[in-house]
Amino acid sequence: MTQQQLADQVGVTRQTVIAMEQDKYSPSLETAFKVALALGVKLEQCFQYEPRGKR
Amino acid sequence: MALSYREKSLYASLAAELLVYLPYFFFHHQNSVNKVAGMIAGIIVLQILLQGIIAAFTRNRMTDERDRLIELRGYRAGYMTIAGLMILGLAMLWFHFKAGHFPVNNGWAALHFLSAFFGMLVIADITKTATQIVSYRRAL
Repeated sequence: MTQQQLADQVGVTRQTVIAMEQDKYSPSLETAFKVALALGVKLEQCFQYEPRGKR
Repeated sequence: MALSYREKSLYASLAAELLVYLPYFFFHHQNSVNKVAGMIAGIIVLQILLQGIIAAFTRNRMTDERDRLIELRGYRAGYMTIAGLMILGLAMLWFHFKAGHFPVNNGWAALHFLSAFFGMLVIADITKTATQIVSYRRAL
């Protein structure tokens, strides 16, 4: 799946998908769920949380 | 990285603002209603032109949650800028009138301060646009 295809399915711009991949943007919960659904995986497999300082 | 439609639009806005406002504020020697009107007309025409060109050559013009968040951040920065400058400007105005530097019934002084306050609005607008541009490059 390309970035544009993922963006179209989730309803965001391709630049937002790139920003998410580069850890420059944390999406809303709804968008995060849509990304997981589009990729066919669980939410925890797409997004992980690490407290600041440990990144 | 390819720029989104919103980013291109912001760069065009910033370019238009700098092209029109900087020459007016740095090179004008006399306040004039006609010059202000000309500047406002100029920025409107330039914005319409640049935004039209960008819209014509951009297929995907959607905005998403990240664009709205960055826009809010920009408006906040612009508001804080103009609020701070207005307080500073009013304080200076009060000081100068108290010190008797400007007679109250002097229309020339009023025009100068009007120009200063308009300048504050311009600075705030440029701050808003620049904040959004920087936010697109950095992490949110």
